[in-house]
Amino acid sequence: MLSDWLRRTAAATPDAPAIVEAGPGEEDRVTSFRELFEQAASLAVRFVEKGVRKQDRIALVLPKTTEAIVSVFASLLAGAIYVPIHPQWPKERIETVLADCAARLVIEGDNGSPPRITDREKGCSIPWRGAPSVPSDKFGSLPRADAGDSALILFTSGSTGQPKGVLLSHRAVSAFVRWSAREFQISSADRIACPSPLSFDLSTFDIFNMALCGATCVLVPGHSLWMPRFLVQFLREARISCWYSVPSILAGMLEEGRLAQHDYPDMRLILFAGEVFRSHAVSQLQAALPQAVCANLYGPTETNVVTWCRVPRGFDGLQPLPIGQPCPYAAVAVDATTGELLAGGDSLMSGYWNRPEETQHAFVTLNGKRYYRTGDRVSQATDGNYLFLGRLDRQVKRRGFRIELAEIETALASCEDILEAAAVAVEDGKRGTAIVAFVHTRSAGAITLVEAKAHCARTLPLYMVPDHIVFLGAIPTGGTGKIDYLALSRMAKTLNHAGSDHAAPNHGDQDRSPAIHR
Amino acid sequence: MQHQTMEIKTAVRQFIAENVLLGVHQTTIEDATPLVSGGLIDSIGMIGLVAFLEARFKVEFVPKEINVHSLDTLEKIEEVIRKKLAAREVDAAGSGRQIR
Repeated sequence: MLSDWLRRTAAATPDAPAIVEAGPGEEDRVTSFRELFEQAASLAVRFVEKGVRKQDRIALVLPKTTEAIVSVFASLLAGAIYVPIHPQWPKERIETVLADCAARLVIEGDNGSPPRITDREKGCSIPWRGAPSVPSDKFGSLPRADAGDSALILFTSGSTGQPKGVLLSHRAVSAFVRWSAREFQISSADRIACPSPLSFDLSTFDIFNMALCGATCVLVPGHSLWMPRFLVQFLREARISCWYSVPSILAGMLEEGRLAQHDYPDMRLILFAGEVFRSHAVSQLQAALPQAVCANLYGPTETNVVTWCRVPRGFDGLQPLPIGQPCPYAAVAVDATTGELLAGGDSLMSGYWNRPEETQHAFVTLNGKRYYRTGDRVSQATDGNYLFLGRLDRQVKRRGFRIELAEIETALASCEDILEAAAVAVEDGKRGTAIVAFVHTRSAGAITLVEAKAHCARTLPLYMVPDHIVFLGAIPTGGTGKIDYLALSRMAKTLNHAGSDHAAPNHGDQDRSPAIHR
Repeated sequence: MQHQTMEIKTAVRQFIAENVLLGVHQTTIEDATPLVSGGLIDSIGMIGLVAFLEARFKVEFVPKEINVHSLDTLEKIEEVIRKKLAAREVDAAGSGRQIR
């Protein structure tokens, strides 16, 4: 299925550029479709020879490099399931995921050095070879994937305190990619950039549209992601024609990056997804890139994109931008009682890896069809467009990353000096969503803010580490004895507001617990 | 050079305490405290930190200089800034000679 696209494109346009990656110097490193396919297929043949079976899991602990994309296609060509893991996740979290998915192979590495491949079943390593290493007549022996076979597992924040794996089939990925290729007329002339790591569902857009349409996947240099002005420079110099990212990155490019000060003659398509993009910023984006089509794509990892909305020409930014109307492969319904959006169709996940109970709870059956309970509350406008209203649970989005606040609480409470922890999210104009955690410590001064943050960073990805941690004598509870999240939200708002005006250095020991007693 | 070195760490420590960690006592950020890998500064915090360093020390960063490792502690930040300031002095001296 997905790997057949690469096989076909490599046969049709072998010398066209598949991947462009900024080299260690200033020279670009270009990989053609032939090179990409032959490297991936050679690796796949070696995997199969080493005993990798159909639907075994191959974990890719790699930044988004040429080698990582070779590894994606090698896994698929071997009939395996790839499990992308962000290399900057804490070691403990990576180990949890490797154990959960029972990874047969682990391919790990960083920029600049060849990846290491470890066979976890046999306890040996397989050398990485940068060039095709197997005669091409062996490629025919590789297994064929069926549409229903699983292609990848994406691990996302879990409300039980452990990340959970979303299992996606070839059919599910293909539904979104084929539609996006058709709707946005992706062709071999396109140079696509998507800064999302492979562990994020947005990255199925660039790597698989490359394989399907023969477009070029231009990898966003990791260091550019730290500064919006570097990203803006990259857009221009790399002549990007299609861009897909979370709104936060675009907002940074508009503000600190001063996107509007330059021209981008090649840019024709800007897609965004993953969180609410403020309408005002959307209108600024459209004004900065007048020739480009801008579109808002909506859908959780469990369904990939299910609704979408093209930003109308001359969008004034006075009304919220809708999440739009269903994609042709998607089925969408609304729970009449709660207003929850239910999403089904071809792009729907197969289930959560290894979690039959959570899988059962995630789905609802309507007229014999399975729908995923998104937890998103929506309304439908008279023109048929859906509008996102908010969440029905405690899941939040921060810079496009999905976060279960309960996972942060579990991480904090695992610290022996912390008795109880509660986390809330507040809107912070400039930074988007800020997370404030309240902790009740074993004894006064048991732990400092720096230590509490470092504790979080040992188990949580950076985007989940709370912005602020407040030490309390006790966590406030309501009449039923449950944590009073409303009271905590009010406190968090005050703190966040005070914090933005904070100027004078502190004297005393305010950062040692507990600073505020209630 | 020695007093400048002190000044770099102090200024950065004060900036982080006041703008990134809102309410942390400056002394709890030690010279070797990991800022990024220790969960104290995230990507948005880094944008603010780099903007501060550029304005305060009148230097400019290029993409390759910014990553998780290069600016992870006060010590490392100081080293990067010191090198940039030294390079600027050499440049200034060089152009001075040319003028003479």
